[in-house]
Amino acid sequence: MYTLSTCPWCRKTKNFFAGHNIPFDYIDYDLADASTQDRIIEELDAHGATGFPYVKIDNEIVYGYNPSRYAELLGL
Amino acid sequence: MNVESRKKALHYFFGKIVDPMGYKFTPDQELVDFLLEQEVILEQKHGIPFCPCQGLRHDRSRDMKIVCPCIPFHRKHFDIMKRCWCGLYVHKDVTDPDSLPQLPYSEADHE
Repeated sequence: MYTLSTCPWCRKTKNFFAGHNIPFDYIDYDLADASTQDRIIEELDAHGATGFPYVKIDNEIVYGYNPSRYAELLGL
Repeated sequence: MNVESRKKALHYFFGKIVDPMGYKFTPDQELVDFLLEQEVILEQKHGIPFCPCQGLRHDRSRDMKIVCPCIPFHRKHFDIMKRCWCGLYVHKDVTDPDSLPQLPYSEADHE
C-alpha cells in the first residue's frame, strides 16, 4: 500500500491490516526518495487517484480508506 | 510560534474561510487536533499547510490545489462526499462524520 506518514486514514488502513493479522508492505510516499515518489505518482495517476491511502489487494485497487472493501477482497 | 499556538491560529483562520462554503470543522475533535498538528508540521517543513492526506507532487500548479482548505479545488468531489478528503471539514449539516467514507472521485461521481 502507498500511504502518507501525516495521514490518519493511512494509519487506520495499516491498523486494519495489522489488526486482522494480515501482512502487508507499505511505502510512506512523503518519506520516500524522489524516484520512488515519481513511480508512485505515475501509478496513482494511471488509476485517477489523487490522494492516499492507495491499497493493492491482488489485482484490485482500493483508493481511500474503505474497511468493508478490504474485508470483502480479503474474504474476512 | 509553537505548534499549539499555530494550530489555534490555523483553526481560527480556516474556520472563517470554510464557513461561507457551507463547511465546518468535523465534530471529531481528536481528528481536528491531529490533522491541524500534521498541517503545522507540513507548514514548518514546506512553508505551506498542505493537506496531510494528498501527496506533494513537486509541481507547483498541482500542489497549490492541496493547500488547506483545498475545498474550492475539489468542490464537486467533496460536496458528493459531504467532507473533504482528509476529513478535517464536513458539510454544516453533518453530525456523524464516521458515516462519511472516502470515495474516489470516479466512484463519487456515480453516487
